[in-house]
Amino acid sequence: MLEVKNIDVFYGEFQALFDVSLKISEGETVITVGPNGAGKSTLLKTISGLLRPRSGSITFFGQRIDGLPAHKIVELGIAHVPEGGRLFPQLTVWENLKVGSYLKKSRQDFPLAVKEIYQLFPVLDERKRQLADTLSGGERQMLAIARCLMSKPKLILLDEPSSGLAPRVVSRVFEFVHQIKSQGYAILMVEQNVRKALQLSDRAYLMESGRMVKEGPKQSFLEDPYIKKVYIGL
Amino acid sequence: MFELYANALVNGILLGGVFALLAFGMNLIFGVVKIIHLAYGQCVMLGMYLVYTLVVQLKIPIILACLISLPVMGIVGVVLQWLVINPLLKAKANPLTQLLALAGLTIVVENLAQVTWGADLRGLNIQLPLISVGDIYLRTSNLIAFLGALITLGGLYLFLNRTYLGLAIRSIAQDVDSARLMGINPEKIYYITMAVGGLLTGLIAAFFSPIYAVHPHFGGSFTMMAFIIVVLGGIGNLLGGFIGAFVIGIVTSVSAVLTSTEIADIITLVIFIAVILVRPQGLLGIRISR
Repeated sequence: MLEVKNIDVFYGEFQALFDVSLKISEGETVITVGPNGAGKSTLLKTISGLLRPRSGSITFFGQRIDGLPAHKIVELGIAHVPEGGRLFPQLTVWENLKVGSYLKKSRQDFPLAVKEIYQLFPVLDERKRQLADTLSGGERQMLAIARCLMSKPKLILLDEPSSGLAPRVVSRVFEFVHQIKSQGYAILMVEQNVRKALQLSDRAYLMESGRMVKEGPKQSFLEDPYIKKVYIGL
Repeated sequence: MFELYANALVNGILLGGVFALLAFGMNLIFGVVKIIHLAYGQCVMLGMYLVYTLVVQLKIPIILACLISLPVMGIVGVVLQWLVINPLLKAKANPLTQLLALAGLTIVVENLAQVTWGADLRGLNIQLPLISVGDIYLRTSNLIAFLGALITLGGLYLFLNRTYLGLAIRSIAQDVDSARLMGINPEKIYYITMAVGGLLTGLIAAFFSPIYAVHPHFGGSFTMMAFIIVVLGGIGNLLGGFIGAFVIGIVTSVSAVLTSTEIADIITLVIFIAVILVRPQGLLGIRISR
């Protein structure tokens, strides 16, 4: 469904991505691992339209999307949960979810969708009138993911969902990602918590210094001695 | 003597309502478009000249003239966004350039007004009856302006809290990139915000027209007033602006009775400086540390 082909991305004169390619099929969960500064977040931002590639192409269901503004790309069905969730701190939990359904096609289903989310996360129901700012780290991450579901996406880009969370909370977030995965959404996740993320995934990419250096099914990553040594630490 | 102070207090509150509307417009534009609209008072002035022209020169009934000034000033807001603000945003101009551009706009508007309507005072010359409540006398025009401002603020509150468009405006004010990821087009929201801000200048002009006579430098003092209120309340904080407006309105009119109009301005500014010394972020502002 998504195909990234040979993209180069720059911040001003600084090149962050070199000739990066990546593919995701429907219903697939793909993880990209790599050290800090490898360009993983840049890759997600480029797919969702916050950044533009200088060369190469990105297609979604056969349609070129590189060059489209971010708000048009969401409309096509790609939802991006940025690192740290990027909630609207001065909006309530309920209002954050409502903004999530801003797209014309998702507005009508909002009451139903929000009910489903509350069933999945009773804690968001309890706190629906609280400002997002007052939530704990784990609750914020859950709300950020829940908010992106409101737009009825086909592909979800998750940027470091476990970043800055306590280990116990991390497990809950991954459990949630697993639930979403089993509902049939395609997921492209960028994660530092390599072992947990690999276990969730179908396929993985390794990114270093702005380049894709390895691609393969999850088993090949779990067994790769280099990845084990550097990223899993066994 | 007591009635005099009570009168000043009540009129200060009435004035505060319109100031609140003025500050709301400036605050909204700053919060969303991230531009200090230095020509905001001048836009109110344009609206007043429009009402003056319609009523005195074209003999149109005042109510109709006021209703016409709303959409026209809304369009002026959109045109300003298109001609002045959008190019600044597109060029990623630094804040100083933005301020200079808006300051330049005030000069353009003031001189345009002087060329078109001359330097004389232009008033509607209508006398509305005074309303007496016990020993306190209220000017009908001030009372209409106050009630109208409160109703408008209530409507704006509902608009910002209950509609998708209002929610989009608040989201953009808090995190532009995140809002884009929700499918919100910032450029469209900027235009809408400037249109709402423009509508408000038209409405304020309608409220001011029976109260004040307008002249080419009329807008400057109101831009200053709005800016002081916005900073006093905490820049970008709508509730802070609301409270700040009443503080400034009451302080100005009560100290005018105690001393004189000129001294009242000094007292208002001294109080403003004192508040900012103690709370640099304003009454309800949040201190941002970078």
